[in-house]
Amino acid sequence: MPKIGVYICHCGLNIAGVVDVAQVVEYAKSLPNVVVAKNYTYMCSEPGQRMIKEDIKTYGLDRVVIGTCSPRMHEETFRRAVAEAGLNSYLLEIVNLREHVSWAHSDEPEKATEKSKDLIRMGVARARLLEPLEKKKVSVERSALVVGGGIAGIQSALDLADAGLRVYLVEKAPSIGGRMAQLDKTFPTLDCSACILTPKMVDVAKHPNIMLLTNSEVTSVKGFVGNYEITIVKKPRYVDEKACVGCELCTKVCPVKIPDEFNEGLSETRAIQIYSPYAVPKVAIINPKHCLRLRFDKDVCGKCVQACEAKAIKFDQQPETIQLKVGGIVIAVGSEVFDASQMAELGYGHCKNVISNIEFERLVNASGPTGGKIVCPSDGKTPKTVVFVQCVGSRDKRFHEYCCRVGCMATLKQAILTREHLGRNVNIYVCFNDMRAFGKGYDEFYRRARDLDINFVAGLPSDIRYDTDGTLHFDVYDKGTNKLLELRPDLVILANGLVPNRDLGKIGELFHVSRSADGFLLEAHPKLRPLESAVSGIFLAGACQGPKDIPDTVAQASGAAAKVIDLLASGEIELEPLKAVVDGDLCSGCRICESVCPFLAVEMKTEKMDKKEKLKADIVEAMCQGCGLCVAACPTGAIKMRHYTDEQVLAQVQAACTEKEAKEGGD
Amino acid sequence: MAKPNLESREKILQKLSGLELVNCFQCIKCTSGCTALKLLELKPHEIIKLVNLGFVDELAASDIIWTCVTCLKCLQRCPQRASPYHVIMALRNLAVEREAKVPEGYLKAVSRVLETGLAEGVQDVVSRKMEIFNRENLKLPKIAYPKESFQAAFMKAMEER
Repeated sequence: MPKIGVYICHCGLNIAGVVDVAQVVEYAKSLPNVVVAKNYTYMCSEPGQRMIKEDIKTYGLDRVVIGTCSPRMHEETFRRAVAEAGLNSYLLEIVNLREHVSWAHSDEPEKATEKSKDLIRMGVARARLLEPLEKKKVSVERSALVVGGGIAGIQSALDLADAGLRVYLVEKAPSIGGRMAQLDKTFPTLDCSACILTPKMVDVAKHPNIMLLTNSEVTSVKGFVGNYEITIVKKPRYVDEKACVGCELCTKVCPVKIPDEFNEGLSETRAIQIYSPYAVPKVAIINPKHCLRLRFDKDVCGKCVQACEAKAIKFDQQPETIQLKVGGIVIAVGSEVFDASQMAELGYGHCKNVISNIEFERLVNASGPTGGKIVCPSDGKTPKTVVFVQCVGSRDKRFHEYCCRVGCMATLKQAILTREHLGRNVNIYVCFNDMRAFGKGYDEFYRRARDLDINFVAGLPSDIRYDTDGTLHFDVYDKGTNKLLELRPDLVILANGLVPNRDLGKIGELFHVSRSADGFLLEAHPKLRPLESAVSGIFLAGACQGPKDIPDTVAQASGAAAKVIDLLASGEIELEPLKAVVDGDLCSGCRICESVCPFLAVEMKTEKMDKKEKLKADIVEAMCQGCGLCVAACPTGAIKMRHYTDEQVLAQVQAACTEKEAKEGGD
Repeated sequence: MAKPNLESREKILQKLSGLELVNCFQCIKCTSGCTALKLLELKPHEIIKLVNLGFVDELAASDIIWTCVTCLKCLQRCPQRASPYHVIMALRNLAVEREAKVPEGYLKAVSRVLETGLAEGVQDVVSRKMEIFNRENLKLPKIAYPKESFQAAFMKAMEER
């Protein structure tokens, strides 16, 4: 016969201000198997907890029911308290008398008190049937996978490696560095982007704990938190990484010209090239789609082989498959830039002198296609009037509803750089909707732009027109002066927003991470858990979770690394026992549970029974999230949910429906 | 300007089922591209803001709402789907309901449709060589005038709107 103790919390006046707690206590005393019932102002406080612990010893309680605030607040606290008194943590039932009673029915105190009694009766009915459960420990791999080698991935990898974990950094491109490597200066300090990034890139390459896998992609993810099995494919460079010295003699002799991806197509490179001026690793790569020998599979050309003194060219190089076991994963795959050719009215893609913000970064950078000279792409001449247009593809229901967060600051930076490069001989306009300078030093940066005599037009243009000779002209209405400005710019820079990476669908499927409505990866909670995905052990960092600038990206990356370190530090993790469990005797091997499980937590095992081989379902506890789908779907009732068994739940339902029966029905 | 009139605003909103008039965040794209801005001073962003704040009565009685040439650029390019075009049409309908001033051209067009079934009257054409062409000398069939049933149906449709 169970001995149940019932405790009703006043929660200050939160509960007691509406519910007659004394009445509820008296009612609880009348329920079968209830040995003691008390109330107190703050059950979660030290004296409150002590009261419960002492009663467990005094009365020999083996079940505890607490009528208090939502279990999401203090269930853990009370579980620890009863455990300290020697009672199993899972022989505790929390009844929510605050969110479900006093806060919802604050204007009907009598009915609220009646409801409290009903809920306590239901809680006691369940408590009678609770079973003791133990947390399980699993060992974890003290290593991590970081997907993406931009600033987010680089920061995470360094933090993880410094903490002593083995880190595998996988990057799709031939070099790490990502978007930040393409930028000229960063706002609001106007630090040279490459100067602050490249030391970190070199640290990654040199760190003894980091294995850098460039030109590689993750192709499969199996396992569970602390024990992930990853398959990575390293695509061939057709160049021996160990032999290549990065001299670039091969590039000079290659006859095949291709658009330079790092320079956003503003210049040309060759089919064999080093990816960027700051490439890490500094190893050449051959593009198999353009290289004559690889494309046509014939023994032609071979000029690079002749030129290479290190004999590093290897046309027969094959993709390499790498299998890894890691404990935690950080996804840091970044974002892309909006393709403004989708907005035909702005002329991008038709007129050479309408360029995107990322193209401008390459233009103004000293290692870019023009050596840092700001010129009109159509004729190479210096522009006299430069106009920036904001919110292209962002804050727009036709494309992306969200604000891209960095557009305003990036344009301010680019406008200031234009003034610095071209001096007083240029007219600079910024056409904006709102000017968002929200961060530390950001509004001061906006002031700096205004001080440099940059004109801010409060209004966006409807379209940008171009004549056959390429000259641009458009009208824009300014809210401040109520005048229509007729502009004739030589160069227009569109502030294209950051958009979700086109690979995110694939990444989402691989890692079982969902996406939010805006297309970026979904965090576990937008306010309180921005670094975690819904999958245990997989964390998010950087622009893949939402557009953001460098300071926020670095903060998120370090945070995600800390979460991984947190998870793996002790070498083992505890699993909650609230999982599904299969009764093999009842399992018919129909596999319905396997098909409904969203977490891949069901494994089919073959058992030999009466000389026949039978398939039986088995729950992988570390993957099971306790959602209950399999329990409901199982046609033979072979699966039960621990701590939420059918008997427990039905006892609550019974108790809810008939007061009299429940009273007489106790043991 | 006078005080805002929220009832009149409600009338406009009812005419605009499903269109996000209230979402306009004054980006000015519509006015920047408005065909009627330069010569006729139509500012669609201002019209939407005035309606949003309740200054509907002045607009319904004004000349400015009749300057829109219905090019639909604002409808196509508005990033928040606030569609100044639909708001202006709603204001025009309200003006007609209230028997406020409607430009003669529109009234003529309506009576022409009622009488002839055509929005534009039948016209002679003068070629570059100064020759006059009309339906008669081109041997085109005569245009039939609409029957009374058409006129009744037309009047009914106008009332329902």
